[in-house]
Amino acid sequence: MTPAFARPRRIATLLPALLVVLAGCRGPGGCTTEYCGTVVFAATGEPSTLLPVVSTSAVERDVHDQIFLKLAEIGPDGGTFGDSGFVPELARSWEWTDPLTLTFHLDPRARWHDGAPVTAADVAFTFDAYSDSVVGSGDRASLGHITSVAAVDSLTVVFKFRDRYPEMFYDATYHMRILPAHLLRNVPRATWQTAAFGRAPVGSGPYRFVSWTPGQSIELAADSTHFLGRPHLRRLIWRVAGNLNSAVTMVLAGEADAVEVLVTPDNIRRARADTALRLYPYAGSTYTFVRFNLRANGDRSKPHPVFADPEIRRALVLAADRPRMAQTVFGEYAKVPPGPMPQLWSWLWKTTLAPTPLDSAQAARLLHGRRLSFHLIVPSTSPTRVQYAQLLQEQYRRLGIDVVIDQVDNPTLQQQLESGKFDASLESFVTDPTPSSSVPALWGRDGPQNYGHYANDKFDALVRTAAGAPTRGAAQAAWESAFAALAQDPPGVMLYALDNVAAVNRRVADVRIQPDSWWGLVRTWRIPPDQLTERDRAGR
Amino acid sequence: MRAWLLRRVAAGIAIIFAAVSLTFVAIHLAPGEPFLPPDERPMDPAVVARLRRNYGLDRPLPVQYLRYVTQLAHGELGESFSQRRPVAQAIAAAVPNTLLLTITALAIDFTLGIAIGLYQAARARRRSDAALANVTLFFYSLPTFWLALVLQLVFGLWLGWFPTGGSTDPVLHDSLPLFGRVVDRLYHLALPALTLGLVGAGGTARFQRAALLEALGHEYVRTARAKGLAESAVLIRHAWRDALLPVISLAGVALPFLLTGAVLIETVFSWPGLGKLAADAISARDYPLVLGTTLLATCAVVTGSFIADVLTAAADPRVRLTA
Amino acid sequence: MTTATLLALLAIGVWTTAFVSWCRRRPWGEAGRRFFRHPSATGGLVVLVFLATVALCAPLVTPYAPYQQILTLQDQPPTWLHPLGTDFIGRDVWSRLAYGGRISLGVGTLGMLVAVTLGGLVGAAAGYFRGWIDALLMRCVDVGLSIPRIFLVLGAIALWGKLGVAALILLLGLTGWFATSRIVRSEVMSVRERPYTDAVRALGARPWWIIVRHVLPNSAAALIVSAALGIGNMMLLEAGLSFLGAGIQPPHPSWGNMIADGRDQLPTAPWTTLFPGLAIALAVMALNTTGDALRDALDPKTGGK
Repeated sequence: MTPAFARPRRIATLLPALLVVLAGCRGPGGCTTEYCGTVVFAATGEPSTLLPVVSTSAVERDVHDQIFLKLAEIGPDGGTFGDSGFVPELARSWEWTDPLTLTFHLDPRARWHDGAPVTAADVAFTFDAYSDSVVGSGDRASLGHITSVAAVDSLTVVFKFRDRYPEMFYDATYHMRILPAHLLRNVPRATWQTAAFGRAPVGSGPYRFVSWTPGQSIELAADSTHFLGRPHLRRLIWRVAGNLNSAVTMVLAGEADAVEVLVTPDNIRRARADTALRLYPYAGSTYTFVRFNLRANGDRSKPHPVFADPEIRRALVLAADRPRMAQTVFGEYAKVPPGPMPQLWSWLWKTTLAPTPLDSAQAARLLHGRRLSFHLIVPSTSPTRVQYAQLLQEQYRRLGIDVVIDQVDNPTLQQQLESGKFDASLESFVTDPTPSSSVPALWGRDGPQNYGHYANDKFDALVRTAAGAPTRGAAQAAWESAFAALAQDPPGVMLYALDNVAAVNRRVADVRIQPDSWWGLVRTWRIPPDQLTERDRAGR
Repeated sequence: MRAWLLRRVAAGIAIIFAAVSLTFVAIHLAPGEPFLPPDERPMDPAVVARLRRNYGLDRPLPVQYLRYVTQLAHGELGESFSQRRPVAQAIAAAVPNTLLLTITALAIDFTLGIAIGLYQAARARRRSDAALANVTLFFYSLPTFWLALVLQLVFGLWLGWFPTGGSTDPVLHDSLPLFGRVVDRLYHLALPALTLGLVGAGGTARFQRAALLEALGHEYVRTARAKGLAESAVLIRHAWRDALLPVISLAGVALPFLLTGAVLIETVFSWPGLGKLAADAISARDYPLVLGTTLLATCAVVTGSFIADVLTAAADPRVRLTA
Repeated sequence: MTTATLLALLAIGVWTTAFVSWCRRRPWGEAGRRFFRHPSATGGLVVLVFLATVALCAPLVTPYAPYQQILTLQDQPPTWLHPLGTDFIGRDVWSRLAYGGRISLGVGTLGMLVAVTLGGLVGAAAGYFRGWIDALLMRCVDVGLSIPRIFLVLGAIALWGKLGVAALILLLGLTGWFATSRIVRSEVMSVRERPYTDAVRALGARPWWIIVRHVLPNSAAALIVSAALGIGNMMLLEAGLSFLGAGIQPPHPSWGNMIADGRDQLPTAPWTTLFPGLAIALAVMALNTTGDALRDALDPKTGGK
């Protein structure tokens, strides 16, 4: 690597300087205090709605996390058992009235951005919306243990549960962003996905919505009277970059201040060499895998000619040199997971479980000299997955397995998965802080996202035990045995779990990143007054 | 003249109609579901089905087609799936950006192209002509998006002279005085316009040179020369006037080039114009938006060739407007 | 880069020079002289013959297989072993470039062949029969020319999903014949009016026979020139499609998908993108000069410029 190529030379340029002078012509820029500062985020995609209950993507979450609050937020240790470590947000306090009844007391200072107070009725309304099949929230399944949410008075709300389990408090608080009942009650729920509210949301969070220019940017402004404390950054702007690479380029070129993931070692190297940036490593919440379709391509009633055979699936796992591939593509910034798990579940990684090692000889024995051929669908928008697909293709070719890579765009990929018209797919999945919801959803017999129709009763039973385990120690042991059962009869090849690294401009201080919800703590970031630039001071 | 005009307009409308119908069928038969979100958290299939119903996508294709055509006849372009606003609004926001880009690019294209062509014709078959011929041919032969990537890398990332993408500064633009906003625009416009302009200028220069050399061979030019006019006067006053005609008609034909070239260039530079809108719409399976952008692009092409014909006629009295 | 590779390249260089100078010496007649009188014709031909030979003999001049991954050597800058560097999964860029030439030049040539055949037939039919056939065909051509080509091709690719090489060639051909058919039509119209066509018709020949035997050969010059210039356009379009992820699928290299693959490494490993781009530019340049020279040679009206 030639350093001249690696590092962008940021020559103090004439035109930006001119712009700054022009901006300054209007007199001294207004803001010079502790509460100035504008941070521009480079967004890898564009949200389609900012109404949390129907939003599905991480980019949407990044933005609506600033606008909406939960009752309480998960703590810095990422614990999901009991209520230890949880930090109050809209709820000032809570108590267990009996083992199945949880009472929250709302913060009386909380206000919607239109001035109306946040009430217990809003919470009850929110639960009703999240569990309504017409709304179709992705979190509906996680709320299945809660039988009712009722307002006692304007600031007291009571949750009743069906049964006792360790993650009751987590389920009651983590999934729901509290919504304003007075603004949404009269909007027909069948139209929420496309409701105007989602393009101009009103919440109770530290930032309020200002503007959205489709295809370009979204702007939020700080609520200077917010009850959780006045946010230090005055303006937040998301610039739509369209893909990861353009987003990173934007940050390296100094056109944006922060990007949540760098992904490739190349990007990390370049960001590290850039004196204007500081890097923040954190645990990744995604894992990437090849999923096998156990039913015939396009016909769910028949077994798949290749993948119905567990020996072949095992051979395909044994034949893949996963550590080598991870090293090639991500350097030290990814691990091969021993099961379907992201690095976010750090407690599960302290395990004796190891990923199935490379064993081409054993793989060849299991194949009995059969020559296989299958199609692998890969999203064309993900360069790293396209790269991985080519690495796998070459490794399998040496064993006489012919992999045809079909690069398709996202709408097609999703449609092929839903309709079962695929052999194998290279997917990434963004998880919650706990395995209890996504593992059964993806790999359980009746899981809604079990597109490959994988069925393993032993595994399902172990997953049920693990999700109900009373302590983390017990849970760890149970998940380990579940993942071991999965490795015996693999539903796919678990390829990598990323370590994430965010890059944020050096002038921003107190940067904290929440692994499960990257920009969740932006309200605590600040730019010290001596670090303020013209860009921070300019504007409204 | 009037008959010609009428016939031209009727043919134009028919062409546009056919193009939109073709696109309608193609995009609706294409695989991919407009309401499935990108690969993160999937949506409940029942919700997807309901959304399809809300937008009438569960109806048979001919019914949908009839509905769309009726809608179009009322001047309605429908509602964009991905932008959640009327297609007309999305397009109206993109058109000024694309026009700014294409017109600037055309200006660079023609000033540079004609100037180089003139210079080359003046020194035909000398070394500088040959060298320039190679340069123009090189630019003419380049994949436009490749040049865009290279310019972005060199001037955007390595030298940091120009922004790598976008059309305005997201932080400062709104708080700048008018003059500052203009400068900011031009600053963001530089690289995409230069890319399109350079590639175009390569072609224009070649065309201009050839047309000039042909004109220089004409009888009246020789007469002018025989009258003892200076070579530059012969070139500019006599030959050029003649050789401008084919170049003008080239401008009409260049319009589709600038629009199609703009799909890739706008994507590379995240320029929020029609090309990027169309590309994004195709990848999101945003049917109404795809149709809307195709409609507009086709209109532009048809109008472009129409204008070229009229201009040619205006510049050359010998051409009569009879189809 | 091994000595064998170097020798093979040298041999191709010698063969190219020999072939082109043989072409120059051949008494092709007036047309041949006019062709080589064009200042860049020789250069263009040399480049074309060289690129085509390298592509055809790719196994001889490449030290590695085009999909061979040397995982310890990703994004290596050019060295003696890898004269054009390696790409993001450790594949030799030079080897991929040589093999990619097969696909890029092949797709361009074959696509143009389809387009010229179709355009020739449609143009000939329209120009010969006139009347409603002409009107119908030419309105179709108007529609085809009015939709920006990249929209048309992207739409079609969305329609059929991923495409094999053959399908891609067909698609490029099917969307690329409109302009050719117009040129041929006007040529045919003028040929049709010539006395000898009337004479043949008077002898009782069938229309198709007249078109194929008499009309087409007379408009061959226009066809050849438009084909030579069109291959370059086909190659550029293929590159654009591959760039959008809709062209040639991996691991097959094409110059277009090499640019697309290298795009994300552009700031750190520019060679993976620069060389295929230059290769396209070089090939298209050579095609354009050859096309120009061919026009001069075959069309005495514009000759000698």
